[in-house]
Amino acid sequence: MKKIIKNPYLHFVLLGLILALVPTLAKMGLMKTSYLTTLGGTFIFAIAALGLNILLGYSGLISLGTAGFMGFAAYLSAYFTADLALPFELSIILAVVIPTLLGILVGLVSLKIEGIYLAIATLAVSEILKKTFEEFDFFTNGFSGKTAQYPTLLGTFELDRAGTYYFVVAILILVMLLTYNLMNGRLGRALNAMRGSEAASQAMGVNLLNHRLIAFALATMYAAIAGVLYVHFVKYSYPTIWSLNLSLNFLAMIVIGGLRSIYGTLLGAFIVFAVPDLLLKQVPFFSDLSYVLNGILIIVVIIFYPNGLVHMFTDLKRFIVKLVKGEK
Amino acid sequence: MSTFIQVILRSLETGSIYALAALSIIIIFRTSNIVNFSQGAVAMFNTFVVTYLFNTMGINIWLAALGGIVSAILIGILIDLVVIRHTKKVHPEAKQIITLGMIMIVLGIAPLIFGVDPLRLPRLIEQGNLSILGADISYNGIFNILFGLLVMGGLFVILQKTKIGLAIRSTASNEHTAKLMGVPTKTVTMGAWAVAGVLGVISGVMTAPMTSVTLHIMDDVQLNALIAVVLGGFQTFYGPVVGAYIIGVGRNLLLYYGSSVWGGQILYILILVFLVFRPHGLFGKKIIKKV
Amino acid sequence: MQNNIDGLVLKVDGLSIAFGGLKAVDNLSFDIKENEVFGLIGPNGAGKTTVFNCITQFYKPNSGDILFKDRNGSVHNLLDKNVHDIIKLGLVRTFQNVELIRELSIIDNVLIGAHVDFKSNILDQALRLPRARKEEKKYRAEAMRVLSILGIEDRADAPAGGQPYGVLKKVEFARALMSNPRLIILDEPAAGLNDVETIELSKLIRRLRDELNCSILLVEHDMRLVMEVCDRICAISFGKFLAVGTPKEIKENKDVQVAYLGIEVDENA
Repeated sequence: MKKIIKNPYLHFVLLGLILALVPTLAKMGLMKTSYLTTLGGTFIFAIAALGLNILLGYSGLISLGTAGFMGFAAYLSAYFTADLALPFELSIILAVVIPTLLGILVGLVSLKIEGIYLAIATLAVSEILKKTFEEFDFFTNGFSGKTAQYPTLLGTFELDRAGTYYFVVAILILVMLLTYNLMNGRLGRALNAMRGSEAASQAMGVNLLNHRLIAFALATMYAAIAGVLYVHFVKYSYPTIWSLNLSLNFLAMIVIGGLRSIYGTLLGAFIVFAVPDLLLKQVPFFSDLSYVLNGILIIVVIIFYPNGLVHMFTDLKRFIVKLVKGEK
Repeated sequence: MSTFIQVILRSLETGSIYALAALSIIIIFRTSNIVNFSQGAVAMFNTFVVTYLFNTMGINIWLAALGGIVSAILIGILIDLVVIRHTKKVHPEAKQIITLGMIMIVLGIAPLIFGVDPLRLPRLIEQGNLSILGADISYNGIFNILFGLLVMGGLFVILQKTKIGLAIRSTASNEHTAKLMGVPTKTVTMGAWAVAGVLGVISGVMTAPMTSVTLHIMDDVQLNALIAVVLGGFQTFYGPVVGAYIIGVGRNLLLYYGSSVWGGQILYILILVFLVFRPHGLFGKKIIKKV
Repeated sequence: MQNNIDGLVLKVDGLSIAFGGLKAVDNLSFDIKENEVFGLIGPNGAGKTTVFNCITQFYKPNSGDILFKDRNGSVHNLLDKNVHDIIKLGLVRTFQNVELIRELSIIDNVLIGAHVDFKSNILDQALRLPRARKEEKKYRAEAMRVLSILGIEDRADAPAGGQPYGVLKKVEFARALMSNPRLIILDEPAAGLNDVETIELSKLIRRLRDELNCSILLVEHDMRLVMEVCDRICAISFGKFLAVGTPKEIKENKDVQVAYLGIEVDENA
């Protein structure tokens, strides 16, 4: 029994079921319908952040290019479905594969460039992409922005907002699960080794080039998946969305939530994206200050929980245990 | 020929702006070990202060600029006292995120104080053009070039020749040792944030007349300054400044003689290729870890 | 390249490497027999670790050959290999300043040593297909076995960060053993260990040679340990060969005495 309760896969599925309740709660009037959009958006951003966590948390490679790659995939998918009328499934594959190939190219550069230099090099890549979003208007519609529709699955099932939300939750849980598997196996250990000690990992047979490319490919793939989901859930894309600030936000999510923590990433995404909308904007005086308060929250969390909020739960548990024992 | 000189003069002006911003970033990096992504946002805020003093309160533009410098110093000190001082134990990646938090705070407060409409800030020297070898440049442009050089030159003299400079350099090379040797590293760091703020507002006031004062006025400057720091390398104070002028000149030349749309991006690609061959920038050295 | 290296596992021939004009290793030759504990000694800065780094291809030597015989008896020139391919031949090393991953559990650190033995691809791992699961189980059991040889199996799930130094050294050992090596290179294994731990270490080194049927090359400053465990010793000074022989021969060798004495005089000056 205990073994079943501790099964990590069960946790993921349970989480998925809970998240899937939101549209029902909204329908019952227990929750504003707008929350659906906020939460769906949060989960989409969490997917991209998970990719960045593989890159930074596990592999120790920093990127500020997440936003550019995510935007690239968003435009591609909008273009494939709207302009070329490709089926959703085909367009999602193409819109993920193409940016991933570009990500691998950047991974090649990472063998030479490291640390903060790599961060700003990837930022430059992201800015080049952003410029193409602005200029290639036959494909991106320039500054006016590109619109897309909710997905149509298998050419017949036209999803509405709630339907797309379920789809996003399903992909999120799937991505979390795959990430868990990958990071707790051979690949995860190799990436960890690469981060912890390049020399030791090489001596143990880890091919640095391969693994850096894999890390970049995975991170870009996740960002691209997120980009596709974004454009079909939010239904538009502007060049200004895919800016440095968004990339920094992804970084914030994983640092606040916890490096190398899957649940932490989701928690971080929630704090960075959902807290202003769901909580701060609801309080009358705070509504104008929601952005400011979120900034303060981020700084406070980092000063007091530099290793991520996800550790708060273990600390809390320890504290309660201590309290209970103390009373005895 | 005259167009070429025209382009170069323009480049030196934008180069000055990028260089001031790049120097601002590297000063913080060397003393606090933080890549300050909020550099542009804070500079934007202080530029708004100058604009507010000038537009709304009707203060003379020079005095308004001076007011902006005072505000930059105060905000710099505030950032250090309230935030940076408490981040000694925070690991490097997390430190960068703190500056993201600061961006959010600044971006949130600025519209509350200054409104959401784009504002205009005129040049410090409103009129007058100089003709050099057939190329025209405004007095203000010349002022920007010379003043930028003067400020940076002054800073380098302070860094190299004075006791304060020695304190800053020793803090930059090893804060712990510097502290043991009696260098007041806390004051040095606080001063660095103040100076960085001042450099930021100067670049902001130089940028403002070319565009309008909005929340995003410094985005482009900040981006180019960051790339300038990488190009010049994080290990010296002068590297980023050199990098900034290279970007200023290279960008304008490519925009004018290459592609007016893609010039900037072509330059970024060239810099990326350059970095593959010199991964630590023009003046950086690789630190080899022994095993 | 089929040089005759009968009875040998490693043959270093005319090895030289220079850093910016400074010759760190100068025309050095030695060989290691099968089932031998071989010591490399020399005063500080003699280039011992550089020799290790050349053998394991962290540095590419300027000249010389390094021949290695793998488990199947075929001979490889290590200079033709990539640094990450060395372990596949059966040659593995430990590091002077323990290079472990603090955030990983001890058993996960040890499992990194089996990295090259895994056959499952990314898809197998992502979906936890039977192949990946079976492999993971097999090597996890193997890692536990190695940990129990070293007597630290009870700590398998504890994070490596925060463990005492003696334990960390053993974890590095365990990681090296996972690859079932022909030759283990130990870089100052006794550094930072107390007397009891050092005695334990010397027993362990001999046990490895006898039970696992492999050779050991070690650099060590603790002369007691070197003299006790090594079958043969090679002494070098400023990257140059001084002498090779049994511990007794090395102790009595004039050149070696001068090299060590010379350094001592220098230090007092």
